[in-house]
Amino acid sequence: MVSIVNYKMGNIRSIQNALSYLGVDSRVIDSPEEILTSKKLILPGVGSFRVAMEHIRAMKLFEALNEAALKQGVPLLGICLGMQLLATEGEEEGPTKGFGWIPGRVKRFSPERLSIKVPHIGFNTVYFEPKSKTLFEGLETCADFYFVHSYRMICEEPEKCVSSWADYGERFVASVEHRNIFGTQFHPEKSQSNGLTVLKNFCAI
Amino acid sequence: MAKNRLIFTLLMQEGTYMLSRNFSLQSVGGLDWIKEFYNFDAITFSIDELIVLNVERGVRKIDEFSKNLAELNKGCFMPLAVGGGIRTMEHAYSLLNAGADKLIINTPLIEEPKFVSSLVKTFGSQCIIASIDYRVKKDGDNTVCIRNGSHPTGKGVDEVVKIARNLGCGEIYLTSIDKDGTGEGLDLELIRQVTSTATVPVIASGGVGKFGHFTEGLLQGKAEAVSTANLFNFIEDGLIEARSDMQKEGIKMASWNFSFYSTVPEKVGYSKKRSQ
Repeated sequence: MVSIVNYKMGNIRSIQNALSYLGVDSRVIDSPEEILTSKKLILPGVGSFRVAMEHIRAMKLFEALNEAALKQGVPLLGICLGMQLLATEGEEEGPTKGFGWIPGRVKRFSPERLSIKVPHIGFNTVYFEPKSKTLFEGLETCADFYFVHSYRMICEEPEKCVSSWADYGERFVASVEHRNIFGTQFHPEKSQSNGLTVLKNFCAI
Repeated sequence: MAKNRLIFTLLMQEGTYMLSRNFSLQSVGGLDWIKEFYNFDAITFSIDELIVLNVERGVRKIDEFSKNLAELNKGCFMPLAVGGGIRTMEHAYSLLNAGADKLIINTPLIEEPKFVSSLVKTFGSQCIIASIDYRVKKDGDNTVCIRNGSHPTGKGVDEVVKIARNLGCGEIYLTSIDKDGTGEGLDLELIRQVTSTATVPVIASGGVGKFGHFTEGLLQGKAEAVSTANLFNFIEDGLIEARSDMQKEGIKMASWNFSFYSTVPEKVGYSKKRSQ
């Protein structure tokens, strides 16, 4: 049973559909009690970093998620904004503290400097770090995933936390992995069989 | 960098799928019927994005459309763009809650530009696609048509592209009404004209009848994406073949393992017939 945390930010239905397609039972939860009784957590999210953290704190989910991720060691997957929230701080709409489980900052792409269009939208190639196979088991050394984002995570300890990279004007973090904590900047639920494979691997942990 | 996209457009009218020729509609069948007879899964597993348009000609029932969309979305693991009759914020929320990732806006570009701005402001430009349908007049000029292509606006494509840009739309979905459903090939000249000045990605549509037309739209038209709404030209593994054909022509396409889908056990409410 996978619990999807609903903190009123983003497309939960698509994640549920993907899990149900894979034959994995899931439930949508929105209370600290439910978080603490979860065996596996998915933190989705579309929207702004600041608003997301405000919702999480207002719904009293912050402490419970900390407890589950750090003390209980529950496998947790952050998707898109959900991955960005794992970082120390985000700069969207003013500096905002994240969970801080992955040391790093979330900053906007610089379109002027890199001559790229922001947001970054579409399928792009993700290159896996050879040591981090947990989410990418069954895929080759790289695969295509669907992205839609204007901000990206800059990790302080990339060799410790980054499990894959992608290129968009610069090399940026496509996914992170640290102990029981996982995050993908791309949307596995929108990335055809490559994404379903990632979700399947997460569910198999 | 982001890849080129192959898109399928489904035309839906009260739960029935339609074929269009020059924007005249012909009923094809319900979703179950299509799944059973045309291996619709093979189509959804082989595209980068799905567009679903509500083409009801009367008052469009967004609630009903949202319900159908939510059902369809159960088997779609790629971005979903939807349009047709979106006139209020409630419509937008209803479709996004049903699983849509992007909203397609046509008539309001001309008739309610303020509404389009507020959509962009609320959901971000990546969420709003400007749909531009046009006809070429006898004198060779083009005119953009709204309200299901029935109403010429007197404005040229270039002018409406500018309007879309000023409103902050994140993509342009360009359809030639003259070529629509003919299978004769895309209107490459006009696509090229739009892509040479557009600052956002362009989806080219209208006239695709065979694999080569996709390639032409991307290589000669310089569009970021190409779309077809013709279910019959690309049944079974037609679009998978189209993808590999496009890759052979040097087009950068996303790739994934199509056979993955046949390894997953069958789920309730979801057909998983594969052509063997």
